[in-house]
Amino acid sequence: MAEVPTFKLVLVGDGCTGKTTFVKRHRTGEFERRYHATLGVEVRTLPFYTTRGQVNFNVWDTAGQEKFGGLRDGYYIGANAAIIFFDVTSRITYKNVPNWHRDLVRVCENIPMVLVGNKVDCKDRQVKAKSITFHRRKNIQYYEISAKTNYNFEKPFKYLARRLSNDPNLEFTEEPAVKPPDADVTLDREYIAEQERQLEQAVALPVPADDDDDF
Amino acid sequence: MSDPVQIGTAFVKFYYQTFDTDRSNLASLYQANSMLTFSGAQAMGTTAIMEKLTSLSFRKVQHDVEGLNINIQPTVNDSILVFVSGQLIADDDSEHPMMFSQVFTLCPANGQWFILNDIFNLSFM
Repeated sequence: MAEVPTFKLVLVGDGCTGKTTFVKRHRTGEFERRYHATLGVEVRTLPFYTTRGQVNFNVWDTAGQEKFGGLRDGYYIGANAAIIFFDVTSRITYKNVPNWHRDLVRVCENIPMVLVGNKVDCKDRQVKAKSITFHRRKNIQYYEISAKTNYNFEKPFKYLARRLSNDPNLEFTEEPAVKPPDADVTLDREYIAEQERQLEQAVALPVPADDDDDF
Repeated sequence: MSDPVQIGTAFVKFYYQTFDTDRSNLASLYQANSMLTFSGAQAMGTTAIMEKLTSLSFRKVQHDVEGLNINIQPTVNDSILVFVSGQLIADDDSEHPMMFSQVFTLCPANGQWFILNDIFNLSFM
């Protein structure tokens, strides 16, 4: 049997932006996980079944050390892909996105990346679609997600699988094995549709100049 | 002069208990010439140091005070060098304890002790 293509995917972003909640949605990852105490890293292996066969992501998640400062280079070294998280209910987490991007690029240079705005189920959104421009200046894919309700859970993985396999038409042949949405969070479909409209409108606006990375 | 080991040990217990309950109360331990290097970020003076310590983004932290490894030496100017290593848990995530190490020099001034140097790092590769 051919070896399954396996990619190191690092999750970065401020503490409490939902990195761990997001990766824990995938059922398989809960069995296939290992905590490396010396690195402060938990690695989960998430399988995805695609039109090009099985693809595994070894997803690296921190133990929370970003709450004490930056991450060590060892976290980034050898990464094939990255997801940068922020929380749409917390402006500071979006303001820190350029710092996370800078740290990633310093070690990993040109790997495929996705920026995700998490917690879009929350009505007290602080970071509006039109102010999310970083990904457009850096040519990074952006998705809005709600980890607790599984909204758009598969999007970052599908995008990265397409980039890593050089196949823009790659599709999943099975739905990813996700846990049911958290009982205490409901996704307001109308509200989400409005967020999607605003995101579409934002894309139509001109890309701002690349001179305000530091806000 | 009192025993540096006793002073250093008492300081360590007080420091982490205060850090874990309300770290804004650590302000009285620093002075204008105090220096902090926290995960590589530098701050000098009580105000800048407290700004750094209170802006850390965890909501809750617990240092394992009982399990700390504490080493102490007397040093120049009647000061005390303290090296601590141990384990902490942030935001109740007890599945993922983090190792840390921290160095202090404690200096006497006006019958009290203050922290002149404070260097903190998580001990990850």
